[in-house]
Amino acid sequence: MLVVNQAERVVEAFIGEYASGKSEIAINRAVELKRQGRKVTLVDLDTVEPFYTLRPIKRKLEDMGLEVISQTREDAFGLGETGAMLNPRARWALFNEGDIILDVGYGVYGARTLNLVEGAYESPHLRIIAVINYTRPMTGSLSRIKEYIKELGRVDAVVANTHLGDETTPLLIKEGNKVIIKAAHELGLPVDYMAVDKRFADRDDFKDLGVKVKFIERYMPSAMW
Amino acid sequence: MVLPATPKSWYLPTKPHKFCPGCGHGIVLKALGEAIDELGIQDKTVFGCDIGCSLLSWNFFACDSIQTHHGRTTPVMVGIKRARPELITIGYMGDGGGYSIGSQHLLNAAVRNEKITVILVNNTNYGMTGGQMAPTTLPGQKTETTPYGRDPEITGYPTKGPEFVAALTSDGAYVARGTVSKYKQLKRFIKNALQNQIEGNGFSFVEALSTCPTNWRTNAQQTWSFLEDEMEKYFPVGEFKSPLGKGEK
Amino acid sequence: MQKVIEKAGKAFLTGNEAAAWAALAAGAEIMFGYPITPQNEIMHYWTRLAPKYGRGFLQTEDEISAGFTVCGAVQAGKKAFTATAGPGNTLMQEPFSMAEAMRLPLVAIIQQRGGPSSGTVIYSQQEVTLTTFGGNGEGHRIVYSTASHQEIYDYVIKAFNTAWKYRFPTFVLGDGYQAKMREPLVMYDPEEKGMEMVKPYPLVGLEGKIGEGREPQHLCNIYSMEEELYEVVMKFAAEYEAIAPEVVEYEEKNCDDAEILILAHGVVSRAADDAVKALRAQGIKAGYFRPITLRPFPGRQLREVIAKSGAKKMLIAESAYGQFDRLVKQEIYGETIPIYNLFMPGVGIIDYDIVNKVKSIL
Repeated sequence: MLVVNQAERVVEAFIGEYASGKSEIAINRAVELKRQGRKVTLVDLDTVEPFYTLRPIKRKLEDMGLEVISQTREDAFGLGETGAMLNPRARWALFNEGDIILDVGYGVYGARTLNLVEGAYESPHLRIIAVINYTRPMTGSLSRIKEYIKELGRVDAVVANTHLGDETTPLLIKEGNKVIIKAAHELGLPVDYMAVDKRFADRDDFKDLGVKVKFIERYMPSAMW
Repeated sequence: MVLPATPKSWYLPTKPHKFCPGCGHGIVLKALGEAIDELGIQDKTVFGCDIGCSLLSWNFFACDSIQTHHGRTTPVMVGIKRARPELITIGYMGDGGGYSIGSQHLLNAAVRNEKITVILVNNTNYGMTGGQMAPTTLPGQKTETTPYGRDPEITGYPTKGPEFVAALTSDGAYVARGTVSKYKQLKRFIKNALQNQIEGNGFSFVEALSTCPTNWRTNAQQTWSFLEDEMEKYFPVGEFKSPLGKGEK
Repeated sequence: MQKVIEKAGKAFLTGNEAAAWAALAAGAEIMFGYPITPQNEIMHYWTRLAPKYGRGFLQTEDEISAGFTVCGAVQAGKKAFTATAGPGNTLMQEPFSMAEAMRLPLVAIIQQRGGPSSGTVIYSQQEVTLTTFGGNGEGHRIVYSTASHQEIYDYVIKAFNTAWKYRFPTFVLGDGYQAKMREPLVMYDPEEKGMEMVKPYPLVGLEGKIGEGREPQHLCNIYSMEEELYEVVMKFAAEYEAIAPEVVEYEEKNCDDAEILILAHGVVSRAADDAVKALRAQGIKAGYFRPITLRPFPGRQLREVIAKSGAKKMLIAESAYGQFDRLVKQEIYGETIPIYNLFMPGVGIIDYDIVNKVKSIL
């Protein structure tokens, strides 16, 4: 077996509801680690719709110095009908050197998608982080968030990611994330941070919610034509 | 004029019916009518008919009925049953509709054990379109599209419907093949198939071997002889599967 | 039972999800479907949600069956629907034509993908001809072409009402981009908003004893004589034309003084809207016209816009090679305004594309 000597590596898998912001959070995390001078591989594990997620912005991310494992237009050719497939490089992603950020697609199997990644569940570094957006209907109330997180399987932490795209307001962020934080608390899960669009970076009132605030860049809007 | 007794569920304004003299459809539909009467289900039955000669059964009964498309009666009846499980749904079709153009529907409805009843009339040809080869045309049989007789090397062997339906269905399904030459048995099979739906057990399927003297170009004696001596030899009659008690072979 | 829409305010959704939630909110009772990209999440979300609200679902063996099971379910008196795309839309033309012939309130959501054939799974506006005039009929259908998630939600709800009120098969025509894009919209319970939802009723399986209070229902779609069919089709045509003015919907902006009219439908109309703003900012008098109903088509309204603006040119932009263009031309036969085209089959169109095209023809 290949020995990977990386005592302090980061292995994070972002899971959650369809369109909850997993890819955005995963990209931002990968870029953050990269800026610390680390070697980072970003893996698109969206098996349900690989041709609509990271693929369109793969080149842009590679230009930023990230290793990106995802489908490319060339890979996609001839796969016409496919909605669900796994890139073999994704299966062996953990054997890459450095930090590994996994962007796990949605689906009824939740965190079980990580079974497709060789060695993921055996990795002592793996953290499975649920990304929750309060404006998503399936996670739009305290009870629905709790019910949803329980369905996911193993979850180690939560990222609160309430937003409404271009129509996000600070009030909405605070109201939504308050509920998410409460749900995580009731489930005994830590909230790693709340993610806030960097256009609100001048505000300091988000701290009032008692969790770390990370201001993020939005990459995904350019992923659709 | 003295008319023969007709089932109560027959719709008299459309009688006499339009099937050819000597056609077996009338016998199948009489058996079906009597079964509907005896089970008391006329008011909640929806009868769907395929295109082809089966279509002439469209307003045959004093039951609600729907014409569909060729081969598509099965999914229409599935849609009705899924929407209103309390209704009794009967799909009526020929061998072309069931075994050829609509075979994927028949097969999948059988696999899903849809709680509908399908009655399929096998007369070994496409009657209404003018006597072409059907999936059930016997080897050597002449039709308008097998003018030198059906050659199994070219067109394969006749489809054995109840056999494949029986192989595909799971517990609860009822599958039988009757013949218009054995009226009482045929009626019993049809009644069983309806009873099976009433009990909600599963898919119910009866193939009825039938006659088509017009396209066979046979007189009465030849017609009956083709049915009893040729068809019934190739297509064994009996119950293939029944959750209602011991199967009859 | 849990309320479908629990809280007011905006939610962040993909278009496919918006369609599933709207069908729930409209009181759809059962969906029949067959997997095809890019409409799959309509089924995914319907199957996640339906059991919580006592609604039904059946995954059929193919799209032919999905369409015919919908025909059966609506005849039995239930609000039923399906969703498909591309080759699935091709297969569903057979049941859609039965719905046309028997005036069945079938509702279908179409998320266009690239064609012909399997094309791409991604996006196009190449199912316009198929959805408006497919099948062996006369196009007696109602087709709403949506441009945003809010419209997907609004028009899916409306489609059930339109279908059950007028009994013409009704379509919500979206596309793969709308299916997968994420944007905010307001979800609501239509009845709480004061919308009256048309109640479904059965055509078969009626109450009462046959012969003692009711006659059996015998529903047909095949006729013995040419004249019988002629009578039926002419009656349907007259009824369709009579309701058309009530059904037609369109959007018009900046047309009063426009020198050039830009026509688009569906998601491309968003680019057209932006292009008109950009052109106006540069001093070019552009106007925007968008049919929301592709069937019936707002032909009279378009002629009026051409007349009142006195525009000298018209540009038709679409992600297809002239399907929308043909629809427009047949509706405004006799007008002499020169028509230019921006045909980009199977790819997206942005405001920049339209602005450039306009500049090249002025």
